[in-house]
Amino acid sequence: MNQSDHELQDVMDKLAALEPTAVDAPHRIRALAHMRQKVTAVETQRQPGRLQHFFTPSPARRMALTIASLIVVFAIALSFPAVRTAASEFLGLFRVQTFAAVSVSPEQMALLQKLAQEGLNPGKVTIVDEPGLEEIVPNLAEAGQLTNLTPRTLTALAPPADIRVLDGGSGYITIDLAGARAILAATGVDPALLPDTLDGARIEMSASAGIQQRWTDGLLLLQAASPTVEYPAEVANPTLLAEAFLRVLGLDAAEAQRLAQEIDWTSTLLLPLPANLVSFQEISVDGVSGLALQNLEGTVSALIWQKNGVLYLLQGNTSFTELAVLAASLN
Amino acid sequence: MGELDNTEESKGQTVAALSDNIKLDRLGAGDLTTFESLFQEYYDRIYGLLFRLVGSRAEAEDLAQEVFLKLYHHAFTHKRFQRDREHNIGAWLYRVATNMGYNAIRSRQRRWQRNVYLVPDPADGLNTEAEVTRRETAVTVRNALAKLPERQVQLLLLRQMDLSYAECAEVCGVAPGSVGTLLARAAAAFRAAYDEEIGGKP
Repeated sequence: MNQSDHELQDVMDKLAALEPTAVDAPHRIRALAHMRQKVTAVETQRQPGRLQHFFTPSPARRMALTIASLIVVFAIALSFPAVRTAASEFLGLFRVQTFAAVSVSPEQMALLQKLAQEGLNPGKVTIVDEPGLEEIVPNLAEAGQLTNLTPRTLTALAPPADIRVLDGGSGYITIDLAGARAILAATGVDPALLPDTLDGARIEMSASAGIQQRWTDGLLLLQAASPTVEYPAEVANPTLLAEAFLRVLGLDAAEAQRLAQEIDWTSTLLLPLPANLVSFQEISVDGVSGLALQNLEGTVSALIWQKNGVLYLLQGNTSFTELAVLAASLN
Repeated sequence: MGELDNTEESKGQTVAALSDNIKLDRLGAGDLTTFESLFQEYYDRIYGLLFRLVGSRAEAEDLAQEVFLKLYHHAFTHKRFQRDREHNIGAWLYRVATNMGYNAIRSRQRRWQRNVYLVPDPADGLNTEAEVTRRETAVTVRNALAKLPERQVQLLLLRQMDLSYAECAEVCGVAPGSVGTLLARAAAAFRAAYDEEIGGKP
């Protein structure tokens, strides 16, 4: 060992005074237990936000199910609020024309997640026509032929790196009144808000094929005919059921009542958004009113809007204001 | 350390990095088993580094939790990890831990309105004379480290924790061949700062 090594060793010996002693030794097992709790909390907050799918670049297959997933979210939302007027006697039809968003606290999300884990569900989802695999197509013209849509793209950018056709699908949800009422009771809402006639009511859902365009920087444009939801007459009294749904999402009684009366439930899709993950605001896009969503870091955003019966989703690793500029070049 | 040793370490490093990419893929897919395995593998050393930096058990534990939560979050979102290059999870954890440790010290400094870096929380439970002496030495060492640039402190602490030159190079983002020189400079700077702290006493 030379002089330099000796000096370095002397410094290392002095630094050894900073080492944890037996009293301060790491408690790895205890730390791991804490870590599990934190990860569980993160997952609990992350999972209910189905919208997370929009914020994550979708691998193969997942995007083929995006519209179907969307429909399931729609349907769950619609399993509470009635979507027809009380005067109608036959099947009602829901088509997305506009969007509403409700911020849901992490605590409420965690509670709903816990209830779902305990097996409490408002209904059973049955897939009748499962969406097939997505299909890569060479150009937008072919995508248009396969989907009966008029493809639109972002003319401010170079042509997309990847164009795919997403298959449609259909299914239904059968309302389980006991489960729905149990959820209400567990969240402190009067279960009697849900009428007996709701039990077993079947809500039909169907999604058309869509077109997905992706650019190399993670930008994604999704275009699909607005999905439809048909519901029976048993799903009555829209404002009362909507109020129950909003209460489950954590709104207080007065606010839930006010919102339930303000929203047109035959055409408005309500998106429950985790308050700790996503911020949102109304935005003018493509000549219509849409919804801008952004993660709290401002690094990932999405715009959702409906125009002429077609639903659009534009997502990217940028702010929503930049997405809105890009959306202006849609043609 | 000889050239052969360094070469062997470099090979080991490459293998570890390739393996880490697979682990990151698994993490990104939500594989909790992989996450817990990494936690078990690195927790003691990350805690040890943080304890050396902040000098408080509770604070080091909290920060270590944040470090691993950051790993989980970033792997899941793939924000920080690109698949087209090789990654070294251990090096990443050490870097994040160092940054978090220093952030905590700065925060504490602002909180306490003190002009001294790296001062631990007030000691409690000093039972023996030996313990008192050890704590006093630790304070002197920390005060000396506080006079050094963060990169030199990081390098000294990692080496004191028996990380190899190659591992130190990976964490600090320097060439493996330069670690010896950088360590010697850092040690000299520390000795000068330490001597100043003790007023020239041996």
